[in-house]
Amino acid sequence: MQKQNAILTAAIKPSKNDAMETQVYHQLNMSEKCNVEVPSKILLVDDEKEFVQTLSERLRMRDMGTAVVYDGNSALAQIQRDEPEVMIIDLKMPGIDGMELLKQVKQTCPRIQVIVMTGHGSEQDKKKCMDLGAFSYMQKPVDINLLSESLKKAYKKIKAVE
Amino acid sequence: MKQLQKLKPASWDHRDSASNHLNTGFNFARKWKLIVLFTSFMALLPLFVMSLVEFGLTHRTIEDEVKSSISKLLNAAIVSISFSKDPGKTAMDYITLINSGEDNDIFVVNEDGTLLTTSFYYGNTGTPNAVNTSLFKEKAGIEKDLTPDKKPVMAGYARIPDSSLFFVLAKSEKGLIDLWFKPRFKLIGYLAVSIVLILLSIMGMATYLVGRIHSADRKRSEALHHAEHEKKLASIGRLASGVAHEINNPLAIINQKTGLIMDLFTLREDFSSDKRLISLAKDVLDTVKRCSTITQRLLDFARHMEPSIEPVDIWEVVKQVLAFLEKEADRRRITISIDNKDTIPNFECDKGSLQQIFLNLIENAFTAMEDGGQLSISIRLKKRDQISIMVSDNGRGIADEDIDKIFEPFYSSKNDHWGSGLGLSIIYGLIKEIGGDITVKSRLGKGSCFTVILPLKNSEASDGTK
Repeated sequence: MQKQNAILTAAIKPSKNDAMETQVYHQLNMSEKCNVEVPSKILLVDDEKEFVQTLSERLRMRDMGTAVVYDGNSALAQIQRDEPEVMIIDLKMPGIDGMELLKQVKQTCPRIQVIVMTGHGSEQDKKKCMDLGAFSYMQKPVDINLLSESLKKAYKKIKAVE
Repeated sequence: MKQLQKLKPASWDHRDSASNHLNTGFNFARKWKLIVLFTSFMALLPLFVMSLVEFGLTHRTIEDEVKSSISKLLNAAIVSISFSKDPGKTAMDYITLINSGEDNDIFVVNEDGTLLTTSFYYGNTGTPNAVNTSLFKEKAGIEKDLTPDKKPVMAGYARIPDSSLFFVLAKSEKGLIDLWFKPRFKLIGYLAVSIVLILLSIMGMATYLVGRIHSADRKRSEALHHAEHEKKLASIGRLASGVAHEINNPLAIINQKTGLIMDLFTLREDFSSDKRLISLAKDVLDTVKRCSTITQRLLDFARHMEPSIEPVDIWEVVKQVLAFLEKEADRRRITISIDNKDTIPNFECDKGSLQQIFLNLIENAFTAMEDGGQLSISIRLKKRDQISIMVSDNGRGIADEDIDKIFEPFYSSKNDHWGSGLGLSIIYGLIKEIGGDITVKSRLGKGSCFTVILPLKNSEASDGTK
C-alpha cells in the first residue's frame, strides 16, 4: 500500500518532464526493483501530445520506463542517445513519418521491437508495416491491457534473443 | 389498325422511358419511320421507273403489231380487189369474211363519209357523214378516231384503187388494251409481290436494327447508372474513411485520459470508495468503444483490402456465422431453417469478405424481426457457374420508396441507435469486389429476401484488385 501511494503521489503531480519531450526513460517507481516482465525502456513517438503523454503516464504506472518524443527526427536522435527496447510509433507524423521511421529503425537497430499504433490504419498499411518488421500493429483507440500484453510479448522476444 | 399494332417494334413503346430517363432525346419510333421511308423509297423508285419504261415499250410494241396487222389485212384486200374482175363482189366477200363485229369492224365509205356497208361502230348502211374522211389524207394509213359512241378506235383505211371509196378497218382500243394487259398481268402480279416482299424486309430490317440500337442504348444507360452509383459509393467511402481516421485520434486521447482516471481511481483509496465515479468513467470508456466500433465499420466500408483468395466452402462460412449468432437467436427465440439440398463445390474467394457479408445480412435480418421470427437460408447452384444464396426473414420489410436507397451508406431503417447504416453498403461493396451481385425483394410488414449471387469462377472483378 505504501508503495502504491508513492506511485500515485507521483502520478497525480505531473512532473515537469511530462509537459515536454523526455530524454530519459522514466519510471515512477525508480527506487523499486524493475518488473522483470515488462520493458524498462519504451520510446513513444506520436505528434498527438495529449495522447502520448497520457499513454506514457499510464505505462509508467504499470512499472514500465517510458520516454516521449513528438516526431521522427527526435526519435532517431533519442535512439542515438539511448537505445530503447521497444518503440511505439504513430504512422502519420510531421517530418519523417512512421513508416519511414520504422524502416530506418529496423535497418540501424533491428533489435528494437516496434509496435505501430495508428488511427489511420488500412489493411495495406498493416501488411506493409508487418513486412517491414514491425512487432505488431494496433488500431487507435487502443485498450491499455492489450497494449501491455503486446509490450510484454515484445519484451519476452527481446529476452529470448538475448 | 389492330394488325398494325401487332407489327409494331418492341422499342416503340419503350422509347419514352428510355429517352426521358437519360435525356438522350432519341426517338426510336421516328428513327424507325425515317429508315423505313427512306429505304423503301430508294428501293422501290428504280423498280417503278423500270416498270414504267417497260410498260411504255410493251404498249408501243403491241400498238405496232396491231397497226401492221390492220395494214396487212387492208393491203391484201386492196390488192385482191384491184386484181379482181368483179371488185365489188370481192369487196363484199372480204367484208363478210373479216367482219366479226367488235374486233374487226370492216366497212366501206365514200369520200363524203357516207357508209356503204354496215359498220359495228359507225352505224348502218347509208348513214351520212358517219366517218370523218378528212382524216384519210393518203392512199392508206392508220388513224385514231372516236366513234359516235365516243369509243376510241384504231381505224385503218385504204383507198380502193380507181374509185373514191375507202376500205376502213376499225379496231377498238379497249381490245387493244386487253391484248396488251393480259400478258402483263402476270408481270404486274410479280411486281406487286416483290414490292410487298421488299417493304416487309425493309420493315423487318429496320425493326431489327432499331431494336438493337434500343437494347444497346438501354444497356448503356444501365451501365452509366451503375457507374454513377459506384462512383457515389466510392466518394462516400473516401469521405467516410477520412472522417473515421480523423475521429480515431481524438477518440484515442479520450480513451487514454479516461483510462488514466480509471487507473487513479482503482489505485487510490480516496476515490475507490465512490463507486459512482468509477462507473461514470467506465461509461465514458464504453462510449469510446462504441464510437470506435462505428469508425471501424466506416473503415471496413472504405477499405480496399487485398483479398486473400483461397478455396472456400460456402456452407462452412454460413455455419461459422450462424454459430456466432446462435446465442442471440436463442435469446430471441428466432428459428433458423436451412435448405442445403444442393451440393456446392468449393470455390476460390476471400473468406473474410464472405463472413462479413453473411454476418451483416443475418444481423440485419435479426434486427428486422420481432422476437420469435423466422429466418431461412438457402443456397442453390445456378447455371453459368454461379451460386445464389437467399437470406429471407419475416420481419418488418422495406418500404418501396426506400428499396433503392438501402445499399447506400448511412441509410438506416433500424429503430435502435446502434445501427450505423453502413451494413448493407459494406455488403454491397464486398460483393461487387468479389464479382457477385445482390438483389432484394421486400414487402412492408411481410419480410425481406436478400439474394446474393456469387461467381464460382474467379471473375475479372476480383482479378482487378490483385
